Amino acid sequence: MANYFNTLSLREQLAQLGKCEFMDPAAFSDGVSVLKGKKLVVIGCGSQGLNQGLNLRDSGLDVSYTLRDSAIKEQRQSWKNATDNGFTVGTYAELIPTADLVLNLTPDKQHTAVVTEVVPLMKKNACLAYSHGFNIVEEGMQIRDDITVIMVAPKCPGTEVREEYKRGFGVPTLIAVHEKNDPQGQGLAIAKAYAAGTGGHKAGVLMSSFIAEVKSDLMGEQTILCGMLQTGSLLCFDKMVAQGIAPGYASKLVQYGWETVTEALKYGGVTNMLDRLSNPAKIKAFDLAAELKDIMRPLYHKHMDDIMSGAFSSGMMQDWANDDVSLLGWRKETGESAFENATNTDEEIKEQEYFDHGILMVAMVKAGVELAYETMTAAGIKAESAYYESLHETPLIANTIARKKLFEMNSTISDTAEYGCYLYNHACLPLLADFMAGMNTDVIGHGLSLQDTGVDNQRLIEVNAALRSHSVEIIGQTLRGYMSAMKKIV
Amino acid sequence: MDTICVQQCTAKFNADFSLDAITWNIEPGQCWVILGANGSGKSALGALLAGEGEIQSGSLTGLPGRVSIVSLEAQAKLIQAERDKDDSDITDVVFAGTLVEEMLEESCVDPALLAKLVQRFNLTPLLTRSFRHLSTGETRKLMLVQALASHPELLILDEPFEGLDVRAVEILRECLVEQNRSTALLLILNRFDEIPDFVTHMALLHQGALVQQIAANDPPAVAQLAQLLHLQTSDIRIPEMETDVNVAALAPDQPLVEIRNARIAYGDNLVFEHLNWRIEPGQHWQLSGPNGSGKTCLLNLITGDNPQCYNNDIFVFGYQRGQGESIWDIKQHIGYVSSGLQWDYRVSVSVLNVILSGFYDSIGLYQTASDRQQEIARQWLGLLGMSQRAGASFQQLSFGDQRLLLIARAMVKHPPLLILDEPCLGLDDMNRQLVLALIEKVCAETDTTVVYVNHHATDRIEGIDHYLALDQRS
Ligand SMILES: NC(=O)c1ccc[n+]([C@@H]2O[C@H](COP(=O)([O-])OP(=O)(O)OC[C@H]3O[C@@H](n4cnc5c(N)ncnc54)[C@H](OP(=O)(O)O)[C@@H]3O)[C@@H](O)[C@H]2O)c1
Repeated sequence: MANYFNTLSLREQLAQLGKCEFMDPAAFSDGVSVLKGKKLVVIGCGSQGLNQGLNLRDSGLDVSYTLRDSAIKEQRQSWKNATDNGFTVGTYAELIPTADLVLNLTPDKQHTAVVTEVVPLMKKNACLAYSHGFNIVEEGMQIRDDITVIMVAPKCPGTEVREEYKRGFGVPTLIAVHEKNDPQGQGLAIAKAYAAGTGGHKAGVLMSSFIAEVKSDLMGEQTILCGMLQTGSLLCFDKMVAQGIAPGYASKLVQYGWETVTEALKYGGVTNMLDRLSNPAKIKAFDLAAELKDIMRPLYHKHMDDIMSGAFSSGMMQDWANDDVSLLGWRKETGESAFENATNTDEEIKEQEYFDHGILMVAMVKAGVELAYETMTAAGIKAESAYYESLHETPLIANTIARKKLFEMNSTISDTAEYGCYLYNHACLPLLADFMAGMNTDVIGHGLSLQDTGVDNQRLIEVNAALRSHSVEIIGQTLRGYMSAMKKIV
Repeated sequence: MDTICVQQCTAKFNADFSLDAITWNIEPGQCWVILGANGSGKSALGALLAGEGEIQSGSLTGLPGRVSIVSLEAQAKLIQAERDKDDSDITDVVFAGTLVEEMLEESCVDPALLAKLVQRFNLTPLLTRSFRHLSTGETRKLMLVQALASHPELLILDEPFEGLDVRAVEILRECLVEQNRSTALLLILNRFDEIPDFVTHMALLHQGALVQQIAANDPPAVAQLAQLLHLQTSDIRIPEMETDVNVAALAPDQPLVEIRNARIAYGDNLVFEHLNWRIEPGQHWQLSGPNGSGKTCLLNLITGDNPQCYNNDIFVFGYQRGQGESIWDIKQHIGYVSSGLQWDYRVSVSVLNVILSGFYDSIGLYQTASDRQQEIARQWLGLLGMSQRAGASFQQLSFGDQRLLLIARAMVKHPPLLILDEPCLGLDDMNRQLVLALIEKVCAETDTTVVYVNHHATDRIEGIDHYLALDQRS
């Protein structure tokens, strides 16, 4: 199978990459009616499968589950998830032929095998849905011509998808139709009804393309989201310990620091995150971020280029074919790092202290978010996608690090994200070596000393203006505004 | 144990609440009861002795080494701690949860005493159950047993009788009488009529200050204290309903709810089976049963919050469940309050918006409320005496104030069916009377049908004339 993106002309590539618009809530006034009375069959009952299915059923749709034979026979967790919640479970042969809409919610790595097995069982003119487009775009999976192929991708973990639905809200969701497979022109209507059934329409839906979703998702996850936070964690921890800070404190500051500073990011963007610092610290973070951006820019470009050319996914698929040797080796390395193995101090670190003592971490988040966003938009991806795949998701990964540090974070994110994260990490560590040699505990560990409180007004005004006028801040404000017609944010 | 001395102690609990210049001595062997309205700071005072709060001036000396506390806040923390252990969202391994016996063993210093208490509180059948499958009352019992078995020198019980069934209340009283000889005991109570006769001293808190300290053997002083706590509830008017709503009217000749031969089980654990229940419009019901008999499960079959509603024969508000209706079609006809709802209501939202969210059946507010809705919500705030706090953050309020708001949220749209699952849990005498009076008015003056769940036999409600009692599960 050939990489689908590479089969397109440059003109078509650009058109697909540039697709992403925020949909008017009025576009969802029909709710789920297109899917009423239709049979929805979900393949896989993991994080997305279970929680999307619960929401769809609570929205009045007919949902059942099909699992691979071994999962049913061994009554594995996925079988329990479905039966404990009162769903019908059956084999592919039993359920797929009855389905009007098949939701493929198995891990991306399994998609080729699963889709190859399932599609021949699907009835004529049925619809196949994904929550991530890797299989179609990077693996070039070909689907029978009569079948409609769509994507509905919630931009949050499965439990969040459920929790927000129960509250009467939803999570931001991206939808797309695979134009090559839209024989009846029904794809968009089905995707909208599916998104409405998961509650996504209440939090905002972006109309995008398979290609824009995949290319931006890959870029975000391997650079700012997982890569930058992993690299930053290792560098900041090692630096502090080398400068005589107790490992227990350093470990705690890093583990919870990302979550604390990106919580500010979630509510008010990069601007609000830097506004949490004192004026001198803010200027310091701003300058450090500028320096970091200059050093790391070529690396972000390289990641984007490799994603666009397909070099990234073919490299990764080779590793899949090779029993994940590289991936597992890198995962082990992460598990052995000093940061991973340090025990946190019991000493309390106050919320504000994470900012004051973590100026460098704030600078790293700012640099990473802006670089990922700038690189994506320069490659033809729309600002809306670039925002979701960089700034919006950073707090989610930060939260995972706060709960589990790096090893577990890597094991729980998708295979593609983990593989990309390690590539980034291995390139970025040496790249930042000289820069880190010049860092001191005033920017990571202790914070600026109290004599430093004076600032130059002119300089502060410049910094504030530059922060607020960055394009990621402008689009962020608009999108956060859509999602919070009332008080609710993100 | 030495005398515990609190001297002019001012302690901060959050931005909005401090205890103010408390001066108070607790002698060994004394048994104190602390009274006060919701939000007066009585729980904070208990928490202060358990090491919470930031002392800003004054002193607190003589605290013994072994202090145990049982409170709704501690219970919420325990539930949260168990939830935090659940990483299924990122690991995709469904979390089985800590077993009750593991939980008890973790904290135990006296296995023999623990074994006795477990038997006495009838927890033996629960030992191998997962902690998070316990009902509210069962969780409470577990915490009490943990506290009693730890040989505390100071035992602080914040609303210990709340959520316990009649039998469990009796057992706890007996245990406290025995315990009392060797331990200083501090009871924080909402109900004046729950004060046990072994109490030696009483204190009243008001807006963070300790305004009264009396001996329990001084009848005139006790009577005065009771009066202070009492509120006139005669002049209550229920705010009107919104008139131009587009919720379809229900057929008056159909039952609101009809459940036939229902069964709920978790794995091999049967909660109930062969259950039938039909609720006609205007028939007010009281639902009772011991802790763990499945009351909340049953109610969740009606609200659609229990996924097993799709595997049972349930007819609600004109819908046969599982035939294409959405849960929002169901919820628009229901107002609902329970402890579970309060624990789930963890979003950052203002006091006024909590009431407004009742128009949309949401946790948090995601739609723009109309002027009329705002006006109605403000009337409710007035009724609760909270008009000044419309913009305050819900999360900063005391447990009892939060509960009052959730009750108003449930009533605000005058729902056809109002389900009140132990609505008075955590409320003080005054607010309890306010809520009971409200429910009576709702029964008498509106078209709302009420289903009321409680343990307290004394909380009888005028107008409720149908009873359903669930048995202990096998
Ligand atoms: N997690 C997220 O945050 C997120 C967000 C948006 C989109 N997505 C997308 O959603 C999809 C599902 O991801 P997920 O995180 O929900 O996955 P997951 O939690 O790992 O669940 C995968 C499910 O698929 C089943 N499965 C695994 N291998 C299979 C095979 N070879 N054949 C058939 N079934 C198999 C598993 O059950 P058994 O092993 O028991 O068979 C399990 O129930 C992916 O496309 C992902 O990119 C995920």
